[in-house]
Amino acid sequence: MDAMLLEYLPILIFLGLATAISAIAVGASFIIARQRPDSAKASAYECGFDVFDDARGKFDVRFYLVAILFIIFDLEVAFLFPWAITLGKIGVFGFWSMMVFLAVLTVGFIYEWKVGALEWE
Amino acid sequence: MAGMIVTTVFLPLIGAVMAGVLAFFAAADKATQGRLDRWSQWLTCGPMIGSALLALFIFRDVVAQDNVGTVELFTWIDSGALEVSWALKLDTLSAVMVLTVSVVSALIHVYSIGYMRHDPSIPRFMSYLNLFTFFMLMLVTADNLVQLYFGWEGVGLCSYLLIGFWYDRPSANAAAIKAFVVNRVGDFGFALGIFATFLLFQSVHLETIFAEVQGKADATFNVFGGEFHALTVICLLLFVGAMGKSAQLGLHTWLPDAMEGPTPVSALIHAATMVTAGIFMVARMSPLFEYSETALAAVTVVGASTAIVTATIACVQNDIKRVIAYSTCSQLGYMLFACGVSAYSAGIFHLMTHAYFKALLFLGAGSVIHAMSDEQDMRKMGGLRKMIPVTYAVMWAGSLALAGIWPFAGFYSKDIILEAAYAARSGVGGYAFWMGVAAAFLTAFYTWRLLLMTFHGAPRADETVLAHVHESPKMMLLPLLLLAVGAIFAGYVGFESFVGGEAAAFWENSILVLPVHKALENAHLVPGWVKVLPMAVGVAGIGAAYAMYMVLPGLPGVLAERFQILYRFLLNKWYFDDVYDFLFVRPAFYLGRNFWKTGDGTLIDGVGPDGLAAATLGLARRAGRLQSGYLYHYAFAMLTGVAVLITWYLFHRAG
Amino acid sequence: MPIAEVPNLIPALPEIFMVTVAMALLMLGVFQREGDGAATVQTARWISYLGAITLMLALLLLLTVAGGRLVGFSGLFVSDSFAVFFKTLVLIGAAMAIVLSPAYLEHQGIARFEYVVLILFATTGMMVMISANDLISLYLGLEIQSLSLYVIAAFQRDDIRSAEAGLKYFVLGALASGMLLYGSSLVYGFAGTTNFDALAAVFHAGEGNAPALGVIVGIVFILAGMAFKVSAAPFHMWTPDVYEGAPTPFTAFFSVAPKIAALALLVRIMIGPFGELVDQWRQIVMFLSIASMVLGAFAAINQRNIKRMMAYSSIGHVGYALIGLAVGTEAGVQGIMVYMAIYLFMNLGAFACILGMRRGERMLENIGDLAGLSRTHPMLALAMAIFMFSMAGIPPLAGFFGKFYIFLAAIEAELYALAVIGVLASVVAAFYYLRIVKIMYFDQPAEPLNRPIGREIAAVLLASSLIIVFFFAYPAPILAAAAAASATLF
Repeated sequence: MDAMLLEYLPILIFLGLATAISAIAVGASFIIARQRPDSAKASAYECGFDVFDDARGKFDVRFYLVAILFIIFDLEVAFLFPWAITLGKIGVFGFWSMMVFLAVLTVGFIYEWKVGALEWE
Repeated sequence: MAGMIVTTVFLPLIGAVMAGVLAFFAAADKATQGRLDRWSQWLTCGPMIGSALLALFIFRDVVAQDNVGTVELFTWIDSGALEVSWALKLDTLSAVMVLTVSVVSALIHVYSIGYMRHDPSIPRFMSYLNLFTFFMLMLVTADNLVQLYFGWEGVGLCSYLLIGFWYDRPSANAAAIKAFVVNRVGDFGFALGIFATFLLFQSVHLETIFAEVQGKADATFNVFGGEFHALTVICLLLFVGAMGKSAQLGLHTWLPDAMEGPTPVSALIHAATMVTAGIFMVARMSPLFEYSETALAAVTVVGASTAIVTATIACVQNDIKRVIAYSTCSQLGYMLFACGVSAYSAGIFHLMTHAYFKALLFLGAGSVIHAMSDEQDMRKMGGLRKMIPVTYAVMWAGSLALAGIWPFAGFYSKDIILEAAYAARSGVGGYAFWMGVAAAFLTAFYTWRLLLMTFHGAPRADETVLAHVHESPKMMLLPLLLLAVGAIFAGYVGFESFVGGEAAAFWENSILVLPVHKALENAHLVPGWVKVLPMAVGVAGIGAAYAMYMVLPGLPGVLAERFQILYRFLLNKWYFDDVYDFLFVRPAFYLGRNFWKTGDGTLIDGVGPDGLAAATLGLARRAGRLQSGYLYHYAFAMLTGVAVLITWYLFHRAG
Repeated sequence: MPIAEVPNLIPALPEIFMVTVAMALLMLGVFQREGDGAATVQTARWISYLGAITLMLALLLLLTVAGGRLVGFSGLFVSDSFAVFFKTLVLIGAAMAIVLSPAYLEHQGIARFEYVVLILFATTGMMVMISANDLISLYLGLEIQSLSLYVIAAFQRDDIRSAEAGLKYFVLGALASGMLLYGSSLVYGFAGTTNFDALAAVFHAGEGNAPALGVIVGIVFILAGMAFKVSAAPFHMWTPDVYEGAPTPFTAFFSVAPKIAALALLVRIMIGPFGELVDQWRQIVMFLSIASMVLGAFAAINQRNIKRMMAYSSIGHVGYALIGLAVGTEAGVQGIMVYMAIYLFMNLGAFACILGMRRGERMLENIGDLAGLSRTHPMLALAMAIFMFSMAGIPPLAGFFGKFYIFLAAIEAELYALAVIGVLASVVAAFYYLRIVKIMYFDQPAEPLNRPIGREIAAVLLASSLIIVFFFAYPAPILAAAAAASATLF
């Protein structure tokens, strides 16, 4: 039991590191950096958001659509890394499994392209 | 023979069912309704007349050829020791009753055709009448106590239905309920009597009981911790039943009110037949009563008291039917105290003659009321003798019979009762004799008061009513005339057989009188003045009435003024109704209202159905309010649920 | 390494078939998109038909493949007669929902073919759930199902209530999934395996000793997550809002298929791996059951909207079915199976009736709109009355037998309190079922509804009411199948 839990120790360490680093990053920028906004810094980002604004403000849903579609393919790539490394061990079946997975994703991709989800207008 | 008696009893039931079916048809127009009515009249009168004719044959068979016995129909109840059959018992007693009931009933059926001509629900009425006759015949031919009780309750039901026949009149409904409720008091006693009989004899079969009664003469019951003579307990309980049905003092209050029913009903049920069931029952149970001196004494005292009390009330009533109703109570008292002094046959004899002349009087009164456009108050009548001569004549016959004037029927039967009471040579017998004589005087008085106020003197009705006065149709007069024949000759014809020298051969085993009870035998040996006295007081009563209402018409008013307290006392019927109202009715209503409002309404309904329904609605509303529509509430509910489950689980494990 | 072996795909053939066809239909549909509105409607219609046919073919395939206990994907996936029974119900439910849909969607102007694909995916997810033999495949199936359902709930995206329904379902569903996942990880952490058979062996070996607290907490969390899916109180909150907001044919689908699948999964996981711990979790299931029955009975009374009322009604029905699980015996499981089979047909029938309620251009959802239906639509009213009487559990309709077997099992297991509360709750529930009958038959008729009600609706109505009415005459097939299926779990 303990041996199994020990396997998850790296995750715990990563979790702690992630928390620490993000805390340090946010905290350090407050403490060390000089806070001197000018007109360029305070102007809206390219995506259209104001720099300082209410978090609950309304914005175009298409930003999210694009983001979600991006995440799917992002994950696909993340999934491909371990597959690529172990390809030698998992054999033909492993290879075709990923092919099927990619095919399914492609079907989704064709659909989103066809319905026009990728077009801004 | 067996077929004949079965047919006699069941013909009226068939008629009742057929007419009853017709009663459910709503006719589209007058002509159809008329056809329906005629059909129902045929369907009920036919069987009834058939029944009456058969009854004549049966009577002759039983009396002349001693063709007695029991007709077993089928088993009714067979549970452990309790075995009850449907069986028709035929002996002299039941033959007399069957004859009386069916003949009077048939005549009244025919009379009703005329009397109820304008009523909108003739089929229903005829059906009830027939049904009543069936139950009555069932009662008098009962071969066991349970069947007797069946008939007993059946006639009670029909009485209720017929008193309340005009159910759109509140007074009729009230009278019907009163009759039913008062009778329940008596029936309760009767039922207890039957239970006690079964307890003692392990049977409700009459023959079995009678056969064993001698062996149980000294048996005792333990009632509420005290030892009582068993037969006395049984007889007193049975007698309570008889008191209710026969309207004896204490339970008599329903009978005058029962006059709310149509007049043929008053004649049939509340004069000639049903109310005599109590007397019949006492006579039928004579083998039991004979062994209980206490019960016999009670019967005598109650009967005699009823005779005198109700006679005094009858003297001041103004409603023609009520006078006759109180008279009926009084006459029933005579019959009972006859039974009380062991002169059962005299009681039954009076029962029979009374059935004829009292039915005659009622139907005559009905004819008067019919002529007077439904007016019943004698103060608004008078001088009718020229306008309705036939009715007048038969009323005379009936009145003479009631007053006990020779040679009319009442003379024979009343005389023998009073003589028997005298001959009983006991304290209660003496009481009964003197009360009976006094009542005889009053009977003659109020009878002639009725006759004189109705038919003599100056007309007191208004013009429009007088213009409509007319003799009744033949359909009504025919039964009147036939009954008049009965009222005139029944006493003379029946005397020898019923109470005279042939009595022993006539009654055979149907009535038991112990040798020690010699009242009836000695009745023929009483001193001369005893024989003459009843007739003499009768004539005196007539004279008194003539003096007060013809010679000195102002006298009654003066007397009423002078003896106001007494007059009020009598007019208010000895305040029986008021005392009962105070003692029973109001407390019962109070209790009932309390149980209803507090017990049932607040407690049972409030906690039960209504409360549950309200709680359900409340819960439903609260459950609905949980559904706020806010996402975070929902999420919160889910998390709370998990938290509660885990917490509960932890504690459960810990515990 | 076993990873590299080609797994046994045969047990999962129906699912594979469904997914393939669903994707094919998606492609077909999307390439037909060119053209005007009428063409879109046309596409949606024939893809609907294809979808229904696919479901029937899958059913055929399922019955062909079935036989004994087939295990595939290295023990992740199992196909036994228990799974076949529930999959059959789910497939029938989905097919009927698809049949009922086109008319409604066309009328609402949302006749897009994607819903067919979504229903097919959701159904596949349910089938995977039913066949899951591992906490991983359980979660996989659950999510395939759930994600599709979220989209279906919000299918009428221009309608604020539909969008709200989708969003609520999604957020709460995610929360429930989280709970389930958390529970699974706890169980895995303490038992060391996610495979059902292995879990059963672990708990069996530890018989006698009380299981670790973490396992129990994990089971509670798994139960909570599953309770959300079957909408058992107190995890039911989403149900009325989603049922009311979602397009009606999809509500009909929600009320049967996911519920049946989730209940099957719940039964499998509780009786299978956690079967040894029945004394530990029985009280929790009893609590869920009682809470659901009582809430379903009481909360529905005040509802004016018939879809909301049906939502509470379905919560109540889940409560009754959970009695069978609390009993935890073969008879109890058999009772659940019979109950759900009957529930499928009464509920679909009732929703078909609701779909028939249309006046002019408007779909009606208020109970009051049924007033006097018996005089304007005698047959529709009769069918509705049959379903309502059946739901109230009036013999000789099928609903009575469903309750009968459940209560019988409870009595046999001496869970008298549960049976008594169940009977009392069904008395209260009878009120609102019978009120509908009263409104239809005794109230003054409102304006008549449109007629005809449509061929598809009529067909579904006829089929369901015949099954409900004549179940008592020939219950053997369902009873026998349920008996055989429940036997495989013990």
